[in-house]
Amino acid sequence: MDLQIKMTWLHHVNPMVKLFFLVFLFIGLLLIHHIHFQFYFLLFIICIYLFMTGCRTKWLLLLSLPLSILFFSSFLSMALFGMGETTWWKLGIVHITEESFFRGLHLGIRTVSFGLLGLVFALTTTPVQLFYSSMQQLRLKPKFAYSFMASIRILPIIVEEIIILKKALKVRGYVYSKGLTGFFERMNHYSVPILAQSIRRAHRIAIAMQIKQFNGDTRRTYYYKIGYSRHDIFFTLVVTVFFLVSVVLANILPVFPVDYVR
Amino acid sequence: MNKKLTLTDILVTIVIAIVFSVIYKIWGPLYSAVSLIGLHVEQFLYGMWFIAATIAFLIIRKPGVAFIAEIAAAQGEFLFGGQWGISLLLYGLVQGIGCELVFALFRYKNYRLYVTCLAAILATLGSLWLDMYYGYITDLVWWNLTLLITNRTIGAIILSGFFAFYLVKALDKTGVTNLVRPVAKEHYEALEESER
Repeated sequence: MDLQIKMTWLHHVNPMVKLFFLVFLFIGLLLIHHIHFQFYFLLFIICIYLFMTGCRTKWLLLLSLPLSILFFSSFLSMALFGMGETTWWKLGIVHITEESFFRGLHLGIRTVSFGLLGLVFALTTTPVQLFYSSMQQLRLKPKFAYSFMASIRILPIIVEEIIILKKALKVRGYVYSKGLTGFFERMNHYSVPILAQSIRRAHRIAIAMQIKQFNGDTRRTYYYKIGYSRHDIFFTLVVTVFFLVSVVLANILPVFPVDYVR
Repeated sequence: MNKKLTLTDILVTIVIAIVFSVIYKIWGPLYSAVSLIGLHVEQFLYGMWFIAATIAFLIIRKPGVAFIAEIAAAQGEFLFGGQWGISLLLYGLVQGIGCELVFALFRYKNYRLYVTCLAAILATLGSLWLDMYYGYITDLVWWNLTLLITNRTIGAIILSGFFAFYLVKALDKTGVTNLVRPVAKEHYEALEESER
């Protein structure tokens, strides 16, 4: 079943503009310790994730499943073992305080926000768009950008090799040891041939690319021209409005009894 | 000996990094699942996230390779929808700098096991430094914080130190590393002697 149903306006936003805003929001969220703001902003990110990426909801929920585990793990480790004054519950090494509980909640919300923002970017940007745009807007050297694109193209071949390796080991009747030794045996049997073969292939491709002048400078011509459009302005507006509305909502409609977690 | 990175070096570095970025991506859910056990058992797995830098450097042995590999692997994980999202880029940057610093300290001429382990330790330090802001780890109770730091360092030494070193050693035996490694001085000397 296809992941993507339709292209949305987010697909047409310049990848570098998207990346710039993600980095900006990342730094912003990292420096703001106001838990209500984080909460409201997360709601907006969830809206973007669910309704504006143009993917099937079933897939979206499946993709966000690891994030829920991540939420609980980052929340629990801080809530159970964090420092704080107002004790709620204490048993042996576990010591839950009001401060640590909300700090944990804050951490969980923030981790999920970053994760969802990353997923939004990944779902609405193709590698080709990203690297062409980074060459044209960021002046990344073509030899880096094309190396990235070539490497991503190599991945399916590597997957095929892994499948062949698995079958070959099975045919030869290889039996792994039990426990951790078995795990390292398995790592060894797969990683050495896969890496060796990848290096050989990369070497051959690099020579071919060198002959075709892929190591030239940025003054080359590009097959895809990626510029700015009205979608970029719209994206900027949406993010700014969401940001400001979150700030306002956080101040007039608090959800938790604590404002700052630090 | 040419220290500048050629297209071949970059492509091989990035291919290695992308291969590991797939492993990084799979490592994420594994790490979160293990973390539910508690007591920072998952930190033993953390070291895997520095392995692209050490392996790429041990294979290509040129300045900048460790840094590029770690950034590229983080970028790859980000592109494949890694669960930490945008923060991956920053962690990749700092961990890459950590590894690169150690290799630079030995003037890119020492490829021994202890240097690899040191690189893993410095990458751990980098990640801990970011965790102070990102994960508020300094607000953990002292014994819990100590446990976190120790577990992560041990994991890093085992995975990105020992495992990376022996993996590259195994790769050396296949002869594939000779393709990309810069030719050493004695090889040129040997060539001159045979000409005489």
